[in-house]
Parts: sequence; structure tokens; C-alpha cells
Amino acid sequence: MSSSVAIAAEDLVKEYEGTRALDGFSVSVDRGEFFGLLGPNGAGKTTFIETLVGLSGPTAGTAAVFGHDVVADRRAVRQRVGLAPQEYNVDRFFPIREVLEHKAGYHGIRHETAQKRADWALDRVGLQEKAGATFKSLSGGMKRRVLLARALVTDPDLLILDEPTAGVDVQLRREIWDVVKDLNDGGMTVLLTTHYIKEAERLCDRVCIMEAGRSVAVDTPAELRRRGTDTYHLGVAGRPPGGALDGIDEVVSVERTDAGLAVEAGRSSGALPAVITALTEAGVTVTDVETEPTSLEDVFVDMTRTDSDRATPARPDEGTGSETDGPDIEVTR
Amino acid sequence: MSLRERAREGRLPNWAVRTLALGRREVLRVVRRPKNTVLPPIVTNALYVTVFGVILGARIGDTAGVPYLQFVIPGLIALGTITQSFQNASFTLFHGRWEEYVESVVASPMGHREQVTAYLLASAVRGLAVGLVIFGLGLVFSEIPVRRPLVAVAALVLVVTLFGSLGIAGGLWADDFDQLTVFNQFLIQPLVFFGGVFYPVSDLPGLVETVSYLNPMVYIVSGVRFGLLGQAEVSPVVSLGVLAGASVVAVAAVLALMARGYGLRD
Repeated sequence: MSSSVAIAAEDLVKEYEGTRALDGFSVSVDRGEFFGLLGPNGAGKTTFIETLVGLSGPTAGTAAVFGHDVVADRRAVRQRVGLAPQEYNVDRFFPIREVLEHKAGYHGIRHETAQKRADWALDRVGLQEKAGATFKSLSGGMKRRVLLARALVTDPDLLILDEPTAGVDVQLRREIWDVVKDLNDGGMTVLLTTHYIKEAERLCDRVCIMEAGRSVAVDTPAELRRRGTDTYHLGVAGRPPGGALDGIDEVVSVERTDAGLAVEAGRSSGALPAVITALTEAGVTVTDVETEPTSLEDVFVDMTRTDSDRATPARPDEGTGSETDGPDIEVTR
Repeated sequence: MSLRERAREGRLPNWAVRTLALGRREVLRVVRRPKNTVLPPIVTNALYVTVFGVILGARIGDTAGVPYLQFVIPGLIALGTITQSFQNASFTLFHGRWEEYVESVVASPMGHREQVTAYLLASAVRGLAVGLVIFGLGLVFSEIPVRRPLVAVAALVLVVTLFGSLGIAGGLWADDFDQLTVFNQFLIQPLVFFGGVFYPVSDLPGLVETVSYLNPMVYIVSGVRFGLLGQAEVSPVVSLGVLAGASVVAVAAVLALMARGYGLRD
């Protein structure tokens, strides 16, 4: 069945012993898209993935992959999906090459072809030299690559990656993303969950922010950033009078700093000229201007902040990610 | 055109490719780890044959009209086949669930019938291989006839089908290793030992003999014994009938469990 929509979920609900892991979740992912699911722990990302591949049945609602219902036509769905799960769920009785051959066989790929596919997948993730090793003997980064290779060995149309770079060093993360990005460029649809927001920002065509089993926002990273605020760090000569910026609607907050003022205003609102004019009219000279644009991380934290978080703001400002081009936040709430 | 010929030409249907892939994995697991799979029952049965059949058997004399070793070998074959076919299916499913790699099968296009068939095939291979080795051990010390080969084969095929199915159910049900042991240690082993492996049920006092016929293992042991020796306490028709009925029920039950995703899906 041909469909331009890779994933279509409508009002999905999943209840586990009184807990709603999915609470009316809806999303649509286009064929060929690189789509990210962002959300704190417990937001329902993995439950959604398990629902797609039939490891978990929905309590209510519907979901389809390439037009195939995930409950009524689950075998057709599974035929087209490659899943690299978060957990290391690999058969440890066999060398990894055979693990891949077995997986291909479960998808109806003949043994001779399965052997070739296994070699191709191991080569793709740079593990050909370890083909005869057992999963247990591999390093953490290699284990992650085995999960990716196993997902690829069946030549899926939809690749689902659940935290594929958790605990992986910077260089290997980039290698993994190079492989996945290349596959996506070749037409493979990719659904990604990650705690590394900068990764999602860099890789994904669109991102869905999830919170408590619901979709909070779906858009491109650029559009989501636009929903946040910019902060203008202003150097000033003279002490601005209180309420000098009260007449500017776009201004969200004003805070005195050692250098002068930190003015938070709606992103791309064009408030800066009005701020400078208002300060000048109040007899204050603006000596320096620096704009700090909002990040997807800021938008994410703002959208998924709970009431208790708001009462005592504790925004993470550094993460466990070790990208050389800036700090990357790992959300582990 | 046979499946084998179609396989050679690459024209095997997808369901057969999937089933053989899982069956192959299951058999390879047994073959690659003999110390954990086939060697222990071979050692145990070698001890049974030596102690019960050869050493004690010489003192016991004829039992049910045949030398004791001849009498006991069919029971030992049944015992080995039962425990190995059960253990194979139960361990592989339980371990796969425990370490979650069974998801690789569950999240594949394999249907429940294909999965059950593959697990049963692998259980049959292991159970029948061990049964054959026990038969060979008996031949080392005595002449072991095979008077009704078709009955023997039918009984053993039904045994591996029944206990492979029970193994699948046990592997899906157990939440920890202890539960798996309980099933085998406290249910199957006692029933087998009181099922006439080492003694004729007819030698038991009246009421105990009557109660013994409620034990399904009596029919299994009798079926195998009739196949080899041409004589047994229960008619082969009754033995094979009970075994066939139980097998049909067990296979239907595990098919239903697998179709529901019992123990495998949330």
C-alpha cells in the first residue's frame, strides 16, 4: 500500500495499571522525513514506539504506518520497520553477524541474502572487523552500533531510533548520525527520540515535543525556536528609571545586571529598536547591545516545565553531552 | 516441487523462510552449547543405564517378561525426550524474555503459528536426539529390539509435540528462574518417575495401581515401550490416543497464547 504519510497516530491512549503513558497522543510523520520526538523521561516516547511495532497495544485510538494499522495489520507494519531500541536486547548466544542474519531471516530474507545483508549492515556501521565477536564482548559504543545494524539489516522503510546515542562519545555519535543522515537522504523515514536536544535541532526536519503522554508542539526546530524569546544584554550609561520599558508589549521581563540590563522579548518581534528608543527618551545611553537568541532547548524546557518547576525555576544550564561546539542538554527528569 | 527443492532454488515461501530462520537459530543454540544442553542428559542417562540397568538389573532379573535393562530403556528414552523437549522450549522463551531479545522475533513479521512451529521443531530435534542417544547407550549393554517402529516413532513425535508445547507455555508464564524450575522439578519429574519408568505399574497394590492410571506419563511410557518391546501395560491405541489428544489441546493452547502475545507483549 502506498502512502505519503509514514506514521499517522490519532488520539492514542495507553494505560498501564492506572498510569496513562499516552494520553490522547496524535502525530503525523511524512514519508522521507527525519522526525524527532523530544520529551522528558516518562513523556511516553518509548511507549509510542512500542505501540508502532506492536510490542504494546493501545488502550484507545489508532495508529498506522505507511497506511497499515498497527493492530489489525501489525505484520505488514513490522515488515517495513527497523527498530533500534534503547535497551541492549541482543541475543548473546551468537556472534553479532549471526544475530543480524537471524533477524533478517525473521523478516523472510533467505539465508544467503541474509548473510550478504548482515555484512552490508556491519560494514555500514563500521563493525565488519567485529563480525565474529559476541555482543557481550563489545564496548558500549559498539553495542549501540550493533543495534543500528540490526535495525538496518531488514532494509526498512521506516527506521526508529530510541535514544541511539545514549552514553556514546562525541566522535561515535557523529559517525552514527552521518550514517543515519545518509540513509535519510536516500529516502528512508527516520523517527528519533533523543535526550540530546542539539542533535534533534541539527538533524530533524520536524520535532514533536511530548509531555505526559501528549503532544505539546510539532514544528520545525526553527519555528519552535521562534516561539521562544530573545534576551538583549544592554550596556547602559546612567541608571534607567523604573517602568521605562512598560509601554512595549513584546517585552516579557527586564532585569538589572552588572553591565546594565537584560531585556527578554518575543523572538523576532523587532522590539530592540523600540527598547533603545524608550531608554534614550528616558535619558539613558545604550553603549552596547548583545542579542542572545533562544534555543530549542529553552523552548523545550519552557514547554515541558511542570508547575512545581515554575515555582522554583531550575533550568539546566549544562549537560552531560560533550559536543565541542557547545554544551548539549541531556534531559533526565 | 518439495520445500527442499524450492529452498534450493530460492523459491521457498516467506512463511517457511521465517520459520526455518527461527528454527535454525534454536537448533544452533543447542548444538553450539553442548555442555549446557545435550551433554548433561547424556551423562545422567549413562548413569541410569549403568546403575539401574546393568548393576541393579543383574540382580532384579526379568521384569514384565524381559531383562530389566530392556524394560527400563523405553522409560528412560521417554524421560529424556520429555525433559529435553520441555527444557528447550521453556528455557529459550524464558531467557529471551528475561534478556528481552525475544523482541527481535516479536517485532518481526513472524506470525504466531510460525513461531510455535519453529520452537516445536527445535524442541523435537533436541528431545529426539537425546532419546536416540539413550537408545544407543542401551545397545552398548544389551540387545534393544524395535518391534513396532511406527508406534515408537509416533509416540516420540507426540511426546516432543506435547512437552515442547508445555515448554512454550512454561517459558511464557514464568517470571523468574525459580518458577521455571518449579514446573519441571515439582510437576514433570514426579509424574515421570511415578509413570512406570522403573517398574511395571501392574506390580503396584490395587488402589495405587488404579490411581497411577490417572498419571498421563503412564501412557507415554507405555507407548514408547510398546514401540520397542512390542508389549506394554496399556494398549498402544489407548496410549497414542491419550497422547494425541493431549498434544492437540496443548498445541491449540500455546497457539492461542502466542496469538494473544501472552508474556510477550503489553
